[in-house]
Amino acid sequence: MTTTQLVEPAAPSAAPAHPAVIGQIARTWLGFAAMGAGMVHFALVITAPPALAAVLLLLGLAECGWGIATFARERLIAPRIARLGALLPVVLWSLLVVAATLLDAPALAASLTLLPMAVATALDLFVAVVLSRVLQRADADLRPRAAVAPSAGRYLIGLMAGATVVAALVTPALAGTEAGRLAQPHGQHDADFVPAPADDPSLDGLFLPEHGAH
Amino acid sequence: MTKSPNRLLATVFGAVYLLVGLLGFTVTGGVGFFATDGGLLLGLFEVNIFHNVAHLLIGAALLIAGLSNVRAAKSVNITVGAAYLLLGVVGLFLPGQPFNILAINAADNVLHFASAAVLLAVGIGADKGVRTATV
Repeated sequence: MTTTQLVEPAAPSAAPAHPAVIGQIARTWLGFAAMGAGMVHFALVITAPPALAAVLLLLGLAECGWGIATFARERLIAPRIARLGALLPVVLWSLLVVAATLLDAPALAASLTLLPMAVATALDLFVAVVLSRVLQRADADLRPRAAVAPSAGRYLIGLMAGATVVAALVTPALAGTEAGRLAQPHGQHDADFVPAPADDPSLDGLFLPEHGAH
Repeated sequence: MTKSPNRLLATVFGAVYLLVGLLGFTVTGGVGFFATDGGLLLGLFEVNIFHNVAHLLIGAALLIAGLSNVRAAKSVNITVGAAYLLLGVVGLFLPGQPFNILAINAADNVLHFASAAVLLAVGIGADKGVRTATV
């Protein structure tokens, strides 16, 4: 006579079998990308209506905070929440544009200028894609690759390459915001210069340089 | 040294800043120590003698730390990076002002921000097993 023993199936574990592992160079890129997106969202705050400004401020704080923590900590901080958070701006932006179109109220999304938002979205999508790959590996119960530390030179070259790319994207994005326009170096203008009337005969033969700061 | 990103960066940046400090004296002949209008290094970066001395001191601190040990390099990278970040922010408001005693222009600000980003990123992000020196 045989006895049948009922065995309860094991509850699926919420946590992956292996922690989310990421290379040192890729981690610096994630940090730079998150901070770049955060800075662009910060810069958009001053022209946004109050409710939208509050959302942008929170997004900027979260992105910059997570970016710094990514540099400073050994492991990725809350990668699943971070992935959702990285997708949140593009979802909200899309909804706002759709609402503005449907309601025939372009002012609703007018404060979110195209270039800065496109750059911030690209950086956020980069974060989301990298986090997805890292989490996919952890969820698939794949044995994480041994964390081979790159050589110091390779690490520095990788870090500087990431910083250069993010800076090249973020700088024109910031310049395209109202905050960027206000940051023009007006201090270098000559405050003593007083234009003379155009028909002033004393100006004959005088060379006046082009004013190209704006 | 080649195994520690902090030591390598501090050594390279230290050497570069020392060189920049020395080269600065080639364009600051006749420029006052605290002059708000300095000479243009590489035709781009405005410097006066005080700015050159600051470059020499920062370069020396980074080079000595980089050649010493990881802990010193990490500490100096973070300290100099934070100082450059602060100077970068303050520098946005300095051009054209009478108290611009470092003769800072827009190109200097870009360089200060870039230096701050790299020094802070490496100082905070690399050699995590090493604690920084406390004052």
